[in-house]
Amino acid sequence: MSQSQFFPTPCLEAEDLYFSYGEREILRGVSIEVKPGDVVAIMGRSGSGKTTLLKIFAGLLKPHRGVVQVLRCEVDKPCFESVRPRIAYIPQSLGLVSGATALYNVLLGRAPRHPFNFVFGLWSRRDVEEAVEALRVVGLGDKAKMGVDKLSGGEKQRVAIARALFQKASVILADEPVSNLDAETAAEVTKLLVKPSQDGVAVVAVLHDQDIAFEFFKRVYVLKGGMLVEM
Amino acid sequence: MRDLILSLLIISITLSFNLGLVQPALYLKAGENMARFFSLLGLRADLLGEAWWAVVETFVMSLFGVASGGLAAFLLAPYASPLIVQPRLSWFVRAVASAVRTIPSVLWAIFFVILVGPGPAAGALALALYTATYLVKLFYEALETVDKELYDSLRAIGLRGLPLALALFVHVRRQVVSHVLFMLEYNVRTATILGFVGAGGVGYYILQYLSMLDYAAVTTYVVATIAFVVSIDAVSYLLRTRV
Repeated sequence: MSQSQFFPTPCLEAEDLYFSYGEREILRGVSIEVKPGDVVAIMGRSGSGKTTLLKIFAGLLKPHRGVVQVLRCEVDKPCFESVRPRIAYIPQSLGLVSGATALYNVLLGRAPRHPFNFVFGLWSRRDVEEAVEALRVVGLGDKAKMGVDKLSGGEKQRVAIARALFQKASVILADEPVSNLDAETAAEVTKLLVKPSQDGVAVVAVLHDQDIAFEFFKRVYVLKGGMLVEM
Repeated sequence: MRDLILSLLIISITLSFNLGLVQPALYLKAGENMARFFSLLGLRADLLGEAWWAVVETFVMSLFGVASGGLAAFLLAPYASPLIVQPRLSWFVRAVASAVRTIPSVLWAIFFVILVGPGPAAGALALALYTATYLVKLFYEALETVDKELYDSLRAIGLRGLPLALALFVHVRRQVVSHVLFMLEYNVRTATILGFVGAGGVGYYILQYLSMLDYAAVTTYVVATIAFVVSIDAVSYLLRTRV
Protein backbone atom coordinates (compact mmCIF):
# COMPACT_ATOMS: atom_id res chain seq x y z
CA MET A 1 0.00 0.00 0.00
CA SER A 2 1.42 3.38 -1.01
CA GLN A 3 1.95 6.23 1.37
CA SER A 4 -0.75 8.29 -0.38
CA GLN A 5 -3.33 5.70 0.61
CA PHE A 6 -2.35 6.04 4.25
CA PHE A 7 -2.25 9.83 4.02
CA PRO A 8 -4.60 10.74 1.18
CA THR A 9 -4.46 14.22 -0.29
CA PRO A 10 -7.26 16.38 1.11
CA CYS A 11 -10.13 16.86 -1.31
CA LEU A 12 -11.25 20.00 0.46
CA GLU A 13 -8.95 22.45 2.19
CA ALA A 14 -9.91 25.80 3.66
CA GLU A 15 -7.34 28.04 5.25
CA ASP A 16 -7.93 31.13 7.34
CA LEU A 17 -11.32 32.05 5.84
CA TYR A 18 -12.93 35.37 6.63
CA PHE A 19 -16.37 36.45 5.48
CA SER A 20 -18.72 39.20 6.56
CA TYR A 21 -22.15 40.53 5.65
CA GLY A 22 -21.63 44.29 5.82
CA GLU A 23 -20.19 45.09 9.22
CA ARG A 24 -21.12 41.70 10.64
CA GLU A 25 -18.15 39.37 10.49
CA ILE A 26 -19.50 35.85 10.19
CA LEU A 27 -16.36 33.77 9.62
CA ARG A 28 -13.12 34.60 11.37
CA GLY A 29 -10.15 32.52 10.40
CA VAL A 30 -11.89 29.23 9.62
CA SER A 31 -9.55 26.41 8.60
CA ILE A 32 -10.47 22.81 7.87
CA GLU A 33 -9.09 19.85 5.93
CA VAL A 34 -11.35 17.10 4.58
CA LYS A 35 -9.89 13.93 3.11
CA PRO A 36 -11.52 11.35 0.83
CA GLY A 37 -13.88 9.20 2.87
CA ASP A 38 -14.19 11.79 5.66
CA VAL A 39 -17.65 12.38 7.07
CA VAL A 40 -17.83 15.82 8.63
CA ALA A 41 -20.72 17.52 10.40
CA ILE A 42 -20.81 21.26 10.99
CA MET A 43 -23.15 22.46 13.69
CA GLY A 44 -23.93 25.82 15.20
CA ARG A 45 -26.70 28.22 16.05
CA SER A 46 -28.92 29.75 13.38
CA GLY A 47 -27.10 32.60 11.67
CA SER A 48 -23.69 31.37 12.82
CA GLY A 49 -22.46 31.08 9.21
CA LYS A 50 -22.81 27.34 8.52
CA THR A 51 -24.63 27.79 5.19
CA THR A 52 -22.24 30.58 4.21
CA LEU A 53 -19.28 28.28 4.86
CA LEU A 54 -20.84 25.50 2.79
CA LYS A 55 -21.53 27.93 -0.07
CA ILE A 56 -17.90 29.03 0.03
CA PHE A 57 -16.84 25.36 -0.22
CA ALA A 58 -19.19 25.00 -3.22
CA GLY A 59 -17.70 28.06 -4.91
CA LEU A 60 -20.98 29.96 -4.68
CA LEU A 61 -19.59 32.66 -2.41
CA LYS A 62 -16.13 34.17 -2.39
CA PRO A 63 -14.38 34.51 0.97
CA HIS A 64 -13.13 37.99 1.80
CA ARG A 65 -9.86 36.49 2.92
CA GLY A 66 -8.34 33.04 2.88
CA VAL A 67 -8.06 30.21 0.41
CA VAL A 68 -10.34 27.27 -0.41
CA GLN A 69 -9.15 24.39 -2.52
CA VAL A 70 -11.48 21.65 -3.69
CA LEU A 71 -9.92 18.68 -5.45
CA ARG A 72 -6.65 20.63 -5.66
CA CYS A 73 -8.14 23.65 -7.38
CA GLU A 74 -8.75 27.03 -5.79
CA VAL A 75 -12.42 27.95 -6.00
CA ASP A 76 -11.92 31.25 -7.82
CA LYS A 77 -9.46 29.86 -10.38
CA PRO A 78 -10.57 28.92 -13.95
CA CYS A 79 -9.83 25.24 -13.26
CA PHE A 80 -12.68 25.20 -10.75
CA GLU A 81 -15.32 25.00 -13.51
CA SER A 82 -13.90 21.60 -14.50
CA VAL A 83 -13.95 20.51 -10.85
CA ARG A 84 -17.60 21.48 -10.27
CA PRO A 85 -19.13 18.33 -11.82
CA ARG A 86 -17.36 16.35 -9.06
CA ILE A 87 -19.01 18.39 -6.31
CA ALA A 88 -22.58 17.64 -5.26
CA TYR A 89 -24.33 20.45 -3.44
CA ILE A 90 -27.63 19.76 -1.71
CA PRO A 91 -29.17 23.01 -0.44
CA GLN A 92 -31.80 23.22 2.30
CA SER A 93 -34.60 23.32 -0.28
CA LEU A 94 -32.89 20.36 -2.06
CA GLY A 95 -32.52 22.06 -5.44
CA LEU A 96 -34.92 19.80 -7.29
CA VAL A 97 -36.58 20.89 -10.51
CA SER A 98 -40.28 20.90 -9.76
CA GLY A 99 -42.66 19.61 -12.40
CA ALA A 100 -40.03 17.12 -13.56
CA THR A 101 -39.73 13.44 -12.70
CA ALA A 102 -37.38 11.95 -10.11
CA LEU A 103 -35.39 10.41 -13.00
CA TYR A 104 -34.98 13.80 -14.73
CA ASN A 105 -33.69 15.29 -11.49
CA VAL A 106 -31.18 12.49 -11.06
CA LEU A 107 -30.00 12.72 -14.69
CA LEU A 108 -29.36 16.42 -14.09
CA GLY A 109 -26.36 15.30 -12.04
CA ARG A 110 -24.48 14.46 -15.23
CA ALA A 111 -25.85 17.29 -17.36
CA PRO A 112 -22.67 19.39 -16.97
CA ARG A 113 -20.60 16.49 -18.36
CA HIS A 114 -23.04 15.68 -21.18
CA PRO A 115 -24.83 18.97 -21.98
CA PHE A 116 -25.84 17.86 -25.49
CA ASN A 117 -27.47 14.67 -24.19
CA PHE A 118 -29.28 16.69 -21.55
CA VAL A 119 -30.60 19.40 -23.88
CA PHE A 120 -31.89 16.92 -26.47
CA GLY A 121 -32.88 14.21 -23.99
CA LEU A 122 -30.54 11.77 -25.73
CA TRP A 123 -29.23 9.90 -22.70
CA SER A 124 -27.50 6.61 -23.33
CA ARG A 125 -29.21 3.48 -22.05
CA ARG A 126 -26.31 3.06 -19.62
CA ASP A 127 -26.82 6.53 -18.15
CA VAL A 128 -30.54 5.93 -17.68
CA GLU A 129 -29.90 2.52 -16.11
CA GLU A 130 -27.35 4.02 -13.73
CA ALA A 131 -29.77 6.81 -12.79
CA VAL A 132 -32.52 4.29 -12.05
CA GLU A 133 -29.98 2.25 -10.08
CA ALA A 134 -29.09 5.35 -8.01
CA LEU A 135 -32.80 5.76 -7.27
CA ARG A 136 -33.05 2.08 -6.37
CA VAL A 137 -30.12 2.43 -3.92
CA VAL A 138 -32.04 5.14 -2.07
CA GLY A 139 -35.23 3.06 -2.16
CA LEU A 140 -37.04 4.88 -4.96
CA GLY A 141 -36.47 2.46 -7.84
CA ASP A 142 -40.21 2.24 -8.48
CA LYS A 143 -40.75 6.00 -8.43
CA ALA A 144 -38.35 7.03 -11.20
CA LYS A 145 -41.13 8.26 -13.48
CA MET A 146 -43.04 10.01 -10.71
CA GLY A 147 -43.06 13.83 -10.52
CA VAL A 148 -40.96 15.09 -7.61
CA ASP A 149 -43.84 17.31 -6.49
CA LYS A 150 -45.80 14.15 -5.66
CA LEU A 151 -43.06 12.72 -3.41
CA SER A 152 -42.92 13.11 0.36
CA GLY A 153 -40.26 15.25 2.08
CA GLY A 154 -38.12 12.20 2.89
CA GLU A 155 -38.42 10.89 -0.66
CA LYS A 156 -37.34 14.25 -2.08
CA GLN A 157 -34.24 14.13 0.16
CA ARG A 158 -33.51 10.70 -1.29
CA VAL A 159 -33.82 12.00 -4.85
CA ALA A 160 -31.26 14.71 -4.04
CA ILE A 161 -28.92 12.03 -2.64
CA ALA A 162 -29.53 9.81 -5.68
CA ARG A 163 -28.46 12.73 -7.88
CA ALA A 164 -25.21 13.01 -5.92
CA LEU A 165 -24.63 9.24 -6.27
CA PHE A 166 -25.34 9.28 -10.01
CA GLN A 167 -23.13 12.33 -10.41
CA LYS A 168 -20.24 10.25 -9.03
CA ALA A 169 -19.25 13.24 -6.94
CA SER A 170 -16.00 13.19 -4.96
CA VAL A 171 -17.33 15.71 -2.46
CA ILE A 172 -20.93 15.94 -1.22
CA LEU A 173 -21.93 19.18 0.49
CA ALA A 174 -25.33 19.02 2.19
CA ASP A 175 -27.06 21.89 3.95
CA GLU A 176 -29.37 20.61 6.69
CA PRO A 177 -30.27 17.50 4.72
CA VAL A 178 -32.59 16.07 7.38
CA SER A 179 -34.37 19.14 8.63
CA ASN A 180 -38.17 18.79 8.69
CA LEU A 181 -37.97 14.98 8.82
CA ASP A 182 -39.13 12.75 11.65
CA ALA A 183 -36.38 11.04 13.69
CA GLU A 184 -36.70 7.66 11.98
CA THR A 185 -36.66 9.05 8.41
CA ALA A 186 -33.85 11.47 9.34
CA ALA A 187 -31.70 8.51 10.47
CA GLU A 188 -32.47 6.56 7.27
CA VAL A 189 -31.67 9.52 5.01
CA THR A 190 -28.45 10.29 6.91
CA LYS A 191 -27.33 6.68 6.52
CA LEU A 192 -27.79 7.02 2.76
CA LEU A 193 -26.00 10.36 2.74
CA VAL A 194 -22.86 9.08 4.49
CA LYS A 195 -22.79 5.72 2.70
CA PRO A 196 -20.74 6.97 -0.31
CA SER A 197 -17.90 7.73 2.15
CA GLN A 198 -17.16 3.97 2.09
CA ASP A 199 -16.12 4.49 -1.54
CA GLY A 200 -13.89 7.45 -0.71
CA VAL A 201 -16.40 10.25 -1.16
CA ALA A 202 -16.04 13.11 1.33
CA VAL A 203 -19.29 14.19 2.93
CA VAL A 204 -19.66 17.57 4.63
CA ALA A 205 -23.06 18.32 6.12
CA VAL A 206 -24.50 21.21 8.05
CA LEU A 207 -26.72 19.84 10.80
CA HIS A 208 -28.86 20.96 13.69
CA ASP A 209 -29.51 17.58 15.27
CA GLN A 210 -26.73 16.60 17.71
CA ASP A 211 -27.86 12.98 17.98
CA ILE A 212 -27.65 12.53 14.20
CA ALA A 213 -24.27 14.30 14.10
CA PHE A 214 -22.63 12.13 16.76
CA GLU A 215 -24.19 8.89 15.57
CA PHE A 216 -23.29 9.11 11.88
CA PHE A 217 -20.41 11.59 11.50
CA LYS A 218 -16.79 10.81 12.37
CA ARG A 219 -15.86 14.46 12.85
CA VAL A 220 -18.19 17.03 14.35
CA TYR A 221 -17.41 20.75 14.34
CA VAL A 222 -19.23 23.65 15.89
CA LEU A 223 -19.16 27.09 14.30
CA LYS A 224 -19.11 29.56 17.15
CA GLY A 225 -18.20 33.23 17.02
CA GLY A 226 -17.01 32.78 13.46
CA MET A 227 -14.53 30.04 14.44
CA LEU A 228 -14.69 26.31 13.75
CA VAL A 229 -14.14 24.19 16.84
CA GLU A 230 -13.83 20.38 16.66
CA MET A 231 -15.86 18.52 19.28
CA MET B 1 -58.43 54.51 -1.83
CA ARG B 2 -61.21 57.06 -1.37
CA ASP B 3 -58.74 59.83 -2.31
CA LEU B 4 -57.80 57.97 -5.49
CA ILE B 5 -61.45 57.52 -6.55
CA LEU B 6 -62.16 61.20 -5.82
CA SER B 7 -59.10 62.26 -7.84
CA LEU B 8 -60.17 60.13 -10.81
CA LEU B 9 -63.67 61.65 -10.67
CA ILE B 10 -62.35 65.21 -10.60
CA ILE B 11 -59.96 64.55 -13.50
CA SER B 12 -62.73 62.91 -15.58
CA ILE B 13 -65.21 65.77 -15.07
CA THR B 14 -62.61 68.48 -15.73
CA LEU B 15 -61.29 66.88 -18.90
CA SER B 16 -64.75 66.07 -20.25
CA PHE B 17 -65.39 69.83 -20.43
CA ASN B 18 -62.09 70.36 -22.24
CA LEU B 19 -62.91 67.61 -24.73
CA GLY B 20 -66.34 69.05 -25.47
CA LEU B 21 -68.13 66.01 -24.08
CA VAL B 22 -70.61 68.04 -21.98
CA GLN B 23 -72.92 69.19 -24.80
CA PRO B 24 -76.49 67.84 -25.05
CA ALA B 25 -76.47 68.44 -28.85
CA LEU B 26 -73.60 66.01 -29.24
CA TYR B 27 -75.58 63.18 -27.65
CA LEU B 28 -78.73 63.95 -29.64
CA LYS B 29 -76.72 63.67 -32.85
CA ALA B 30 -75.05 60.46 -31.63
CA GLY B 31 -78.49 58.97 -30.91
CA GLU B 32 -79.73 59.77 -34.42
CA ASN B 33 -76.59 58.25 -35.98
CA MET B 34 -76.88 55.14 -33.86
CA ALA B 35 -80.49 54.58 -34.93
CA ARG B 36 -79.49 54.96 -38.59
CA PHE B 37 -76.49 52.65 -38.11
CA PHE B 38 -78.47 49.89 -36.42
CA SER B 39 -81.05 49.97 -39.21
CA LEU B 40 -78.26 49.07 -41.66
CA LEU B 41 -76.93 46.17 -39.60
CA GLY B 42 -77.68 42.54 -40.32
CA LEU B 43 -76.03 39.24 -41.11
CA ARG B 44 -75.27 38.12 -44.64
CA ALA B 45 -75.52 34.35 -44.83
CA ASP B 46 -73.87 34.35 -48.27
CA LEU B 47 -70.66 35.70 -46.67
CA LEU B 48 -70.39 33.15 -43.84
CA GLY B 49 -68.07 30.86 -45.81
CA GLU B 50 -65.83 33.76 -46.83
CA ALA B 51 -65.81 35.07 -43.24
CA TRP B 52 -64.85 31.61 -41.97
CA TRP B 53 -61.82 31.48 -44.28
CA ALA B 54 -60.80 34.98 -43.24
CA VAL B 55 -60.94 33.88 -39.62
CA VAL B 56 -58.87 30.77 -40.43
CA GLU B 57 -56.29 32.99 -42.15
CA THR B 58 -56.17 35.21 -39.05
CA PHE B 59 -55.67 32.17 -36.85
CA VAL B 60 -52.86 30.84 -39.04
CA MET B 61 -51.08 34.21 -38.81
CA SER B 62 -51.48 34.25 -35.03
CA LEU B 63 -50.33 30.68 -34.61
CA PHE B 64 -47.27 31.21 -36.79
CA GLY B 65 -46.47 34.35 -34.77
CA VAL B 66 -46.66 32.58 -31.44
CA ALA B 67 -44.84 29.42 -32.64
CA SER B 68 -41.89 31.06 -34.36
CA GLY B 69 -41.75 34.01 -31.95
CA GLY B 70 -41.94 31.67 -28.97
CA LEU B 71 -39.16 29.52 -30.37
CA ALA B 72 -36.96 32.57 -30.90
CA ALA B 73 -37.75 33.76 -27.37
CA PHE B 74 -36.71 30.38 -25.91
CA LEU B 75 -33.32 30.76 -27.55
CA LEU B 76 -32.90 34.47 -26.79
CA ALA B 77 -34.29 34.76 -23.24
CA PRO B 78 -31.28 33.00 -21.62
CA TYR B 79 -29.04 35.66 -23.20
CA ALA B 80 -31.17 38.33 -21.55
CA SER B 81 -30.77 36.84 -18.09
CA PRO B 82 -27.75 37.70 -15.93
CA LEU B 83 -28.25 34.31 -14.27
CA ILE B 84 -27.08 32.66 -17.49
CA VAL B 85 -24.74 35.11 -19.24
CA GLN B 86 -22.53 38.06 -18.36
CA PRO B 87 -24.59 41.04 -17.14
CA ARG B 88 -23.31 43.23 -20.01
CA LEU B 89 -24.56 40.82 -22.67
CA SER B 90 -27.89 40.39 -20.88
CA TRP B 91 -28.28 44.17 -20.70
CA PHE B 92 -27.62 44.48 -24.44
CA VAL B 93 -30.14 41.76 -25.39
CA ARG B 94 -32.74 43.30 -23.08
CA ALA B 95 -32.19 46.73 -24.59
CA VAL B 96 -32.61 45.45 -28.17
CA ALA B 97 -35.73 43.44 -27.26
CA SER B 98 -37.16 46.43 -25.43
CA ALA B 99 -36.51 48.75 -28.39
CA VAL B 100 -38.27 46.37 -30.82
CA ARG B 101 -41.16 45.93 -28.37
CA THR B 102 -41.67 49.67 -28.08
CA ILE B 103 -42.94 49.75 -31.67
CA PRO B 104 -46.53 48.38 -31.83
CA SER B 105 -47.11 45.31 -33.98
CA VAL B 106 -49.35 47.28 -36.34
CA LEU B 107 -46.38 49.50 -37.24
CA TRP B 108 -44.21 46.40 -37.74
CA ALA B 109 -46.97 45.14 -40.05
CA ILE B 110 -46.64 48.32 -42.17
CA PHE B 111 -42.87 47.74 -42.25
CA PHE B 112 -43.30 44.14 -43.42
CA VAL B 113 -45.93 45.13 -46.00
CA ILE B 114 -43.22 47.40 -47.46
CA LEU B 115 -40.69 44.55 -47.32
CA VAL B 116 -42.69 41.55 -48.56
CA GLY B 117 -45.81 43.17 -49.99
CA PRO B 118 -49.42 43.12 -48.74
CA GLY B 119 -50.95 39.89 -47.47
CA PRO B 120 -50.92 37.52 -44.50
CA ALA B 121 -47.14 36.90 -44.76
CA ALA B 122 -46.45 40.49 -43.69
CA GLY B 123 -48.85 40.18 -40.75
CA ALA B 124 -47.41 36.84 -39.67
CA LEU B 125 -43.85 38.21 -39.70
CA ALA B 126 -44.90 41.28 -37.69
CA LEU B 127 -46.60 39.10 -35.09
CA ALA B 128 -43.59 36.76 -34.91
CA LEU B 129 -41.19 39.64 -34.30
CA TYR B 130 -43.37 41.28 -31.68
CA THR B 131 -44.11 37.95 -29.97
CA ALA B 132 -40.40 37.08 -29.81
CA THR B 133 -39.42 40.33 -28.11
CA TYR B 134 -42.40 40.29 -25.76
CA LEU B 135 -41.82 36.67 -24.76
CA VAL B 136 -38.10 37.33 -24.24
CA LYS B 137 -39.11 39.75 -21.50
CA LEU B 138 -41.69 37.41 -19.96
CA PHE B 139 -39.31 34.43 -20.14
CA TYR B 140 -36.30 36.13 -18.56
CA GLU B 141 -38.56 37.47 -15.84
CA ALA B 142 -39.82 33.91 -15.27
CA LEU B 143 -36.22 32.65 -15.05
CA GLU B 144 -35.51 35.25 -12.41
CA THR B 145 -38.33 34.00 -10.20
CA VAL B 146 -36.55 30.65 -9.80
CA ASP B 147 -35.67 29.72 -6.24
CA LYS B 148 -32.08 30.86 -5.58
CA GLU B 149 -31.22 27.55 -3.95
CA LEU B 150 -32.22 25.59 -7.07
CA TYR B 151 -30.04 27.90 -9.14
CA ASP B 152 -27.17 27.51 -6.66
CA SER B 153 -27.43 23.71 -6.63
CA LEU B 154 -27.26 23.59 -10.44
CA ARG B 155 -24.45 26.12 -10.71
CA ALA B 156 -22.50 24.31 -7.97
CA ILE B 157 -22.34 21.14 -10.07
CA GLY B 158 -21.14 23.14 -13.08
CA LEU B 159 -24.34 23.51 -15.11
CA ARG B 160 -24.28 26.71 -17.19
CA GLY B 161 -25.42 28.27 -20.45
CA LEU B 162 -28.35 26.78 -22.37
CA PRO B 163 -28.51 23.50 -20.37
CA LEU B 164 -28.87 25.58 -17.19
CA ALA B 165 -31.56 27.72 -18.85
CA LEU B 166 -33.40 24.60 -19.99
CA ALA B 167 -33.46 23.14 -16.45
CA LEU B 168 -34.75 26.46 -15.10
CA PHE B 169 -37.39 26.64 -17.87
CA VAL B 170 -38.65 23.20 -16.85
CA HIS B 171 -38.94 24.48 -13.28
CA VAL B 172 -41.07 27.48 -14.37
CA ARG B 173 -42.91 25.68 -17.15
CA ARG B 174 -46.36 26.70 -15.84
CA GLN B 175 -45.43 30.35 -16.22
CA VAL B 176 -43.89 29.70 -19.63
CA VAL B 177 -47.00 27.93 -20.95
CA SER B 178 -49.21 30.66 -19.50
CA HIS B 179 -47.15 33.36 -21.24
CA VAL B 180 -47.26 31.52 -24.59
CA LEU B 181 -51.05 31.20 -24.36
CA PHE B 182 -51.32 34.86 -23.38
CA MET B 183 -49.36 35.79 -26.53
CA LEU B 184 -51.61 33.56 -28.66
CA GLU B 185 -54.64 35.46 -27.34
CA TYR B 186 -52.84 38.76 -27.94
CA ASN B 187 -51.89 37.75 -31.49
CA VAL B 188 -55.43 36.68 -32.33
CA ARG B 189 -56.78 40.07 -31.24
CA THR B 190 -54.02 42.00 -32.98
CA ALA B 191 -54.22 39.94 -36.19
CA THR B 192 -57.83 41.02 -36.62
CA ILE B 193 -56.76 44.63 -37.17
CA LEU B 194 -53.51 44.06 -39.09
CA GLY B 195 -55.59 43.80 -42.27
CA PHE B 196 -56.34 47.53 -41.92
CA VAL B 197 -52.77 48.17 -43.04
CA GLY B 198 -52.82 45.46 -45.71
CA ALA B 199 -51.21 42.73 -43.65
CA GLY B 200 -53.88 40.06 -44.19
CA GLY B 201 -56.45 38.53 -41.90
CA VAL B 202 -60.07 39.36 -41.23
CA GLY B 203 -59.34 43.08 -40.83
CA TYR B 204 -58.58 43.38 -44.54
CA TYR B 205 -62.10 42.21 -45.45
CA ILE B 206 -63.75 44.38 -42.79
CA LEU B 207 -61.97 47.42 -44.21
CA GLN B 208 -63.07 46.56 -47.76
CA TYR B 209 -66.76 46.26 -46.78
CA LEU B 210 -66.56 49.38 -44.62
CA SER B 211 -65.36 51.38 -47.60
CA MET B 212 -68.39 50.07 -49.55
CA LEU B 213 -70.66 51.04 -46.59
CA ASP B 214 -71.90 47.42 -46.55
CA TYR B 215 -72.57 47.30 -42.80
CA ALA B 216 -74.37 43.94 -42.95
CA ALA B 217 -71.20 42.37 -44.39
CA VAL B 218 -69.10 44.14 -41.75
CA THR B 219 -71.39 42.81 -39.02
CA THR B 220 -71.03 39.27 -40.41
CA TYR B 221 -67.24 39.52 -40.23
CA VAL B 222 -67.31 41.13 -36.77
CA VAL B 223 -69.59 38.39 -35.40
CA ALA B 224 -67.31 35.71 -36.90
CA THR B 225 -64.31 37.45 -35.32
CA ILE B 226 -65.97 37.65 -31.90
CA ALA B 227 -66.93 33.94 -32.04
CA PHE B 228 -63.36 33.10 -33.02
CA VAL B 229 -61.72 35.20 -30.27
CA VAL B 230 -64.08 33.81 -27.61
CA SER B 231 -63.28 30.24 -28.77
CA ILE B 232 -59.54 30.88 -28.58
CA ASP B 233 -59.92 32.35 -25.08
CA ALA B 234 -61.91 29.29 -23.99
CA VAL B 235 -59.37 26.82 -25.41
CA SER B 236 -56.53 28.83 -23.85
CA TYR B 237 -58.30 28.76 -20.46
CA LEU B 238 -58.77 24.98 -20.69
CA LEU B 239 -55.11 24.42 -21.59
CA ARG B 240 -53.97 26.63 -18.69
CA THR B 241 -55.97 24.60 -16.18
CA ARG B 242 -54.43 21.36 -17.45
CA VAL B 243 -50.76 22.35 -17.23
